[in-house]
Amino acid sequence: MRHLIVSLRLSSLLVVVLALLPGAGASAASIPHGTVDLVAENQWIAPGRQTYLGLNFQLEKGWHIYWINPGDSGQPPRVQWHLPDGLSAGEIEWPAPRRLGASTIVDFGYDGAVMLLVPVRASSTVPANKTARIVAELSVLVCREICVPGKTQISLSLPIESAAPEPDARGSDLFTTARKSLPRKPPDDWKFTVNNKKDSFILIAKLGRQISRAFFFPLAESQIDNSAPQVIVPAATGFQLTLKKSDQLLAPIKRLEGVLEISANQTYVIDVAVGNAL
Amino acid sequence: MKKFIVLSVVFAMVLLAVPPLILAAKVGEPAPDFTGTASNSRTYHLADYRGKFVVLEWHNNGCPYTRKHYESGNMQKLQKQWTSQGVVWFTIISSAPGKQGYVDANGENTYIAKMGAAPTAALLDPAGTIGHFYDAKTTPQMIVVNPQGVIIYDGAIDNRPTDDAKDIAGATNYVNLALGQALAGKPVETAATRPYGCSVKYKGSWF
Repeated sequence: MRHLIVSLRLSSLLVVVLALLPGAGASAASIPHGTVDLVAENQWIAPGRQTYLGLNFQLEKGWHIYWINPGDSGQPPRVQWHLPDGLSAGEIEWPAPRRLGASTIVDFGYDGAVMLLVPVRASSTVPANKTARIVAELSVLVCREICVPGKTQISLSLPIESAAPEPDARGSDLFTTARKSLPRKPPDDWKFTVNNKKDSFILIAKLGRQISRAFFFPLAESQIDNSAPQVIVPAATGFQLTLKKSDQLLAPIKRLEGVLEISANQTYVIDVAVGNAL
Repeated sequence: MKKFIVLSVVFAMVLLAVPPLILAAKVGEPAPDFTGTASNSRTYHLADYRGKFVVLEWHNNGCPYTRKHYESGNMQKLQKQWTSQGVVWFTIISSAPGKQGYVDANGENTYIAKMGAAPTAALLDPAGTIGHFYDAKTTPQMIVVNPQGVIIYDGAIDNRPTDDAKDIAGATNYVNLALGQALAGKPVETAATRPYGCSVKYKGSWF
């Protein structure tokens, strides 16, 4: 028993020591009701290649942050990158969100732990054998019943080497989990159509099997009513989902884009042309 | 006969009371009437203000987005600018007791004095009745009603959905735009936007 305690202490000491090491495991910055740190997928950056960084959020129980479309209230996290010449950061790749709230106000976001992936591209002319200092200036709104805005700066120093980059074992679980949480491209044989009715869009899905549960997260604000129930009618080959139009939708839209959730592990990015008014 | 009249009146009252709950307020449709008790202890009926433009502003003094517009003086400036032109401005507080932004009359009067706020009145709506009539979702959320009692704008205060006061300069203020166009006899170009801010802290809401 005593041995166990000692070894537990040793291992926690090891964790602390690892966290203090320079490189991929930069220390976490505090945000309201949580922490955030910047994690690198690879041990170094290679000229002419793309790598991924993760904005790794850990939130206290009950607190949440927002998806790119926050829903009825809230605001997604925003990042301003400060990168050395030759490095450029792409757009955040957003994991599938969760529906937050009930009744008349519905938001979309994440609670607990979430990592937002950001691709970083290095031009082929980036000089090797140097160190790249990457700084992210982050604004984030953290909410439970109330909302608290936070601003922080997180940074990371990564070597630039010409050899093909190798993954950093310290972040590999985080990246595996983050990738699993990204909505996927639907299989090619799935067919979607959207019918345009006066007060609603009807999303018709043909997936080759009956589906009795589905939820659609709209990518753009003000297209569908976030708090209206999404009524599903299962069909032999898929389903039909009624999405009430938002009161703020005053002009017709050409496409309906968003994330379709069939189960917790099955989320898909869909982008469907809106048919003519019926 | 008398009984029939009484019953009819009761029935008519029930009918009148029900529609606003079912038909949430919408741009282009009549603004649901309401009776509100203000922090100045007076009672206000929306219907008494036919013939005037009315602005409804959902408010929560603890919400970072509300604070953006009050601590910068932006909201007070709007209130003064438009009430001086005859527009009626109701600040509406739909936070339930115990929730962020809930205030009693004294608390709101102290806040108004401290912030130099200048609404026509601040209506205390702790039961969320007025908020639900209008399906108000955020603080701030802004609604403009025209002299005919029709909603001509519903949505955000401006086009910069952040809690940062630095974003006020250069933002397009939708209330100014709507009132400016409507007072000039023009149609309101941007009549509905997504309101931004904190969720309204209604009774029974968990977030």
